Amino acid sequence: MRSELLNGVRMLDLTDEKGALCGKMFADMGAEVIKIEPPQGCPSRKIPPFLDDQPGLDNSLHFLAFQAGKRSVTLNLESADGRELLQELVKRSDFIVEAFPIGYLESIGLGYETLAELNPRIVHTSITPFGDKGPAKDYKAADIVSWASGGAMFMMGEEGKPPLQMSVPQAWLHAGAEAAVSSMIAHYARQLDGLGQHIVVNAQACGVWTLMNEQAMPLLHGDYLRRSGVFSGAIGGRRKTVYQCMDGHVSFIIAGGPYFNSTKAVIAWMNEENAAPEWLKGEGGLKTLTPSGFMAATAADLKELDDTEEAVQRFFLTKTKKELWENILKRRLFGAPLANAADIAADPQLKAREYFVTVDHAGLGRQFTLPGAFAKMSETPVGPQGAAPQLGEHDHEVYGGLLGLSNTEIIALRAAGVI
Amino acid sequence: MSSLPFAGIHVLDFTWYAVGPVTTKYLADYGADVVRIESAARPDGLRNAPPWKDAEPGINNSQFFASFNTSKRGLALDMSKPRARELFLKMLPWADVVTESFTPKTLRNWGLDYESMRAVKPDLIMLSTCMQGQTGPHRDYPGFGNLMAALSGFYHISGYSEAEPCPPYGAYTDFIAPRFSVCALIAALDHRRRTGKGQYIDMAQYEASLHHLAPMLVDYFATGRVLGPVGNRSDRYAPHGAYRCADEDGHERWIAIAVADDAEWKSLIAVMGNPADDARFATTIGRFRNRASLDEYVGSLVRDRNADELTVALQAGGVSAYPVQNCMDLHRDENLEAFGFWQWLDHKEMGPSPYEGLEHRMSRTPGGPQRPAPTLGQHSDEVLSEILGLTAAAIEELKREKVVY
Repeated sequence: MRSELLNGVRMLDLTDEKGALCGKMFADMGAEVIKIEPPQGCPSRKIPPFLDDQPGLDNSLHFLAFQAGKRSVTLNLESADGRELLQELVKRSDFIVEAFPIGYLESIGLGYETLAELNPRIVHTSITPFGDKGPAKDYKAADIVSWASGGAMFMMGEEGKPPLQMSVPQAWLHAGAEAAVSSMIAHYARQLDGLGQHIVVNAQACGVWTLMNEQAMPLLHGDYLRRSGVFSGAIGGRRKTVYQCMDGHVSFIIAGGPYFNSTKAVIAWMNEENAAPEWLKGEGGLKTLTPSGFMAATAADLKELDDTEEAVQRFFLTKTKKELWENILKRRLFGAPLANAADIAADPQLKAREYFVTVDHAGLGRQFTLPGAFAKMSETPVGPQGAAPQLGEHDHEVYGGLLGLSNTEIIALRAAGVI
Repeated sequence: MSSLPFAGIHVLDFTWYAVGPVTTKYLADYGADVVRIESAARPDGLRNAPPWKDAEPGINNSQFFASFNTSKRGLALDMSKPRARELFLKMLPWADVVTESFTPKTLRNWGLDYESMRAVKPDLIMLSTCMQGQTGPHRDYPGFGNLMAALSGFYHISGYSEAEPCPPYGAYTDFIAPRFSVCALIAALDHRRRTGKGQYIDMAQYEASLHHLAPMLVDYFATGRVLGPVGNRSDRYAPHGAYRCADEDGHERWIAIAVADDAEWKSLIAVMGNPADDARFATTIGRFRNRASLDEYVGSLVRDRNADELTVALQAGGVSAYPVQNCMDLHRDENLEAFGFWQWLDHKEMGPSPYEGLEHRMSRTPGGPQRPAPTLGQHSDEVLSEILGLTAAAIEELKREKVVY
């Protein structure tokens, strides 16, 4: 059932991968999201990897994941008929979100000014790699390029080796979610006075917003952070963040401040099992660690932390991922296993909260399981509204039902390559 | 519109660290009156974290705290004292929204769960955000976004290989969850406007963050395939990666490049001055079949080039490329500058310091930091007199009793 949260709200989604998550979040909140694709299909239908490694317009995992719950219509914006149909849709919609090169919509007579004349309520959100003003406003940005531009990539990887991206590219997801936020703010503003507006989302700036506050370090402390593998140099420290265990890896941090009690507790556990080295035995354990401040201040503190990390690493090598996770929960340690997809799918916590949601994909004759509600809302539950659409699956419903075109007209438009 | 969209919306904000404060910052930067209620006994941990103004530690000197708390007011209460909780309940009718990000038992222990607050304020909207949600066996799990990034799968898919994990920087999922929680909050405000009903939002950072890994999870459930780290390898672009350019003033510089097709590859080769082309790489099949040697080849072509100049040349040829910016580079980045991203605000104790602006711009109701972050308890007097009508003498007494700071 459609979520009541944004029920009755309509979004036209003309984005490719650059904005996919925006419309997905709106669909999860109950909006009717119409994905407008060129007749040959949205380029994001071709993003690998594919289901069963079989390329096909419906098989991109990216598409199956991020277009779920949307409707699909085909529309050739390069044709006069296509542009007219878009104008008719804009008149009947609340949002339009797109990620075209800057100036493209103006060049085909569909810029914000034109759309706002047709529908002053429209909220038009443009997702861009670098904003609409700087020297890079016309640049292309694959996800890895956007990730590089925002600063996150430089800090990920080993010293001396290339900076890294994650194996599920992230940059355009941040930009898509930011498009959802800013569209919602404009929606709220519109409810007060009936007027829409134009929003420009900047993916590079979204990247900077993943850096905690590392970006202020060079200005305030005088240097910038280099990447250092599993050692986190975040905000001034240099702590090991990933430990090997018998059958994999866990994340754990030995430090003061908020990590103080957890650090004490893991030492206590080592003592219980007679696994602590001599200098860590008995009352006190670590001598110089302080409960205030994230980071130890003196060289002696740091040496002690380094030595503790070594001892903890030796201890963890005698434990399995499962044992460590059980003890992290039981002893309230600040740690976590490096979970993979199988671990997450089996997580009893997510099961208890009935998180994952299965939807039917009629076209493929299969079911797909998707991440569920991004939040549990007591009055207006949200979550996936259905599977990803097939190309043009809703042409008839939208052009016939919403715009009132006759069957003959739809057939003619199809023959002419408009839809 | 003469004022910002959330003008007149009142928020009592118990959140701390990152997810909650970044969420309420969106509301505050667009005009909501967000009162950060901080415990003087246990202030926001970010106040004890660098970067500090002039690298000097101090409770009111952290840019980390400041950046996430622009446009808010600061009220310092000792919530462990019954009188502080009474004050809070008296303020509650003023609020449209209450937010908190403790582990689930904290507010229950104070007698301030949603049900008891709703008895005072029937149409209240409340957001609780924690690691794993308010229910379920792991609901009391404490932690930060770096641990959640491990638990929710981001660490596992990060690295050159499975044996060599390289986690993403920092508390990564802290910067995914806020965009979801603020959408939920704004939509809940809109829903209340339409229906008169408030609601309770139980937000698990875990559950929001998994949306950024949706393709991996869809794949696992459908086919059983478990994704591992693949370095910078792509099945869509070749070359695809970061390549080292000429150092500048002793600093390493890299460029990220992604080539989608033969035309882009020809452009790249032309920008490189048409070196004796290696026939292995002329076709898509050739480039994908020889990805490792392709990376070496591109690396050798760009090693002596200036990353900024090479970016301009490659983009002019239609190739997706940009320097891999470090945190210093970001402050010299012409595009962030043109967007007006960096903002210097004059903080009460820190003086002028560098804040990040918004990552979007609105044409009609532009928001952004309205004022710098509050010092601890900066607006205690102002807030208590404004909302509760307390006299200066009454506030003085509360301060003597160490209820208010």
